Amino acid sequence: MIAPRGAGALAGRTAIVTGAGQGVGEGIARSLAAAGASVVIAARRAETGEPAAEAIRARGDNAVCIVTDVTDRASMTACVAATVDRYGSLEIMVHNAFRGATPHRVEDLDAELWTQNSRTAVWGSYYSAVLAFSHLVAAAPHGRLVLVTSPSGVEGSVNIPAYSPVKAAQRAMAKSLSREWGPHGITVNCIAPVAETPALVAAFAANPVLKERVEARTSLGRIGDPEADIGSVVRFLASDGGAYVTGQTIVCDGGSFMGL
Amino acid sequence: MTGSPDTTLAGRIAVVTGTRHALGQGLAEALRDAGAAVGEVVDNALATREAAIAAFAAVASDLGGPVDIVVHAAMPDIAFEQIAFEDVDDERWGAVWEGAMQGSIHVLQAGYEQMRGRGGRFVFVTPTVSMSGAAGLVPYTTAVEGQRLLAKATARQWGPEGITVNCLAPAPEHVPIGVESVTVSLAPPALGGPGDVRADLGPIVVFLAGDASHALTGATLSADGGVWMAP
Repeated sequence: MIAPRGAGALAGRTAIVTGAGQGVGEGIARSLAAAGASVVIAARRAETGEPAAEAIRARGDNAVCIVTDVTDRASMTACVAATVDRYGSLEIMVHNAFRGATPHRVEDLDAELWTQNSRTAVWGSYYSAVLAFSHLVAAAPHGRLVLVTSPSGVEGSVNIPAYSPVKAAQRAMAKSLSREWGPHGITVNCIAPVAETPALVAAFAANPVLKERVEARTSLGRIGDPEADIGSVVRFLASDGGAYVTGQTIVCDGGSFMGL
Repeated sequence: MTGSPDTTLAGRIAVVTGTRHALGQGLAEALRDAGAAVGEVVDNALATREAAIAAFAAVASDLGGPVDIVVHAAMPDIAFEQIAFEDVDDERWGAVWEGAMQGSIHVLQAGYEQMRGRGGRFVFVTPTVSMSGAAGLVPYTTAVEGQRLLAKATARQWGPEGITVNCLAPAPEHVPIGVESVTVSLAPPALGGPGDVRADLGPIVVFLAGDASHALTGATLSADGGVWMAP
């Protein structure tokens, strides 16, 4: 699916999207690139990241893959440095990467599963924010940080309880950072998507009841497309039109969770 | 007020964490005021699952029965320090985020060992500033909101066992973070101020710890004198 072009709304701007080798991250990367941004696909594995970048280039847009581990400060530092070396600036940082959505009981939650959730969602957000900061300041008034959270970070997940606190943490980080970085002209927001991604397809395959429940609750009666439905929201936040939105969570789930 | 003592929690055993600070101490006193036997568990005992389980078992042994009530107000001291986000290093981030979250997971797991098959009450103390956000307090607000959602998700899992998990959200003045309610809302506190922990928040924590709140779980009660009114 090819997203409608944004008339180059992001031309001349550079974005890093973590976890962009597939799913929501890839959809965001494709949408930002279609709006004219130069996009770095920060993927843990070249096997997914390189084809995702190549697919964007094949459409005539601009993307490269930089293999990056969001849980590792040195790796994230190198990714940001390589991005700025290559493109000269960093306006848009999007942290989407996540691992750890394994169903579990709270009483059995062990260090290994907690660490997966915590390191990818929360430490990854911390590194994304703190390492992008000086570049986002320099990019004023175009500096944007977007964290990909989940409705589960507000509702509480009965199946994957460790997922909820790490996703809630991202929302709190966005609120406090928006207050702290507002004077620098940087906006900080979250999106809470539900999209047809490999992760969701796998979750539905493992739990058909969940699929029925999600579909029954979704006002628009369909699961979102990562590029057309989710990427477009990040593109708005990254654009000049999104400049006055900060500290918020935009739930883009087809009208399912309405608790904000 | 009459002279007859409050017996709402008579015969109940409670664990309170975070009693080094006035907030946790005041809530512990409120539980005692209502007749509960209260054991205080120190922060070091929350560092591992095994240590927390042992500490809770020691309280149960000392006080003569399994733990019915857990009020969790502990937070690493470093979390209260205001700091520009760009100056936060990995050591500080880990001390605040992992310290608060792993401690909370261990509190839940240790409490569950006591409540399994019997039911019980958890109350997490989560100041409203986690919902409003605050400059200079990214690590603290991130950790508190993590705790709040850990409580919600756990409430969903343990509800069928008669275990409720709720959050009590006091005004930011009750934690040493240098934030006043006026930054949370444009309106002044409807009830005049943040209130006194023992006298004003006390009855609310007693309600959350007692039988009367049996149908309430996963909730956050903003007990901040009428400032933060969302939702």
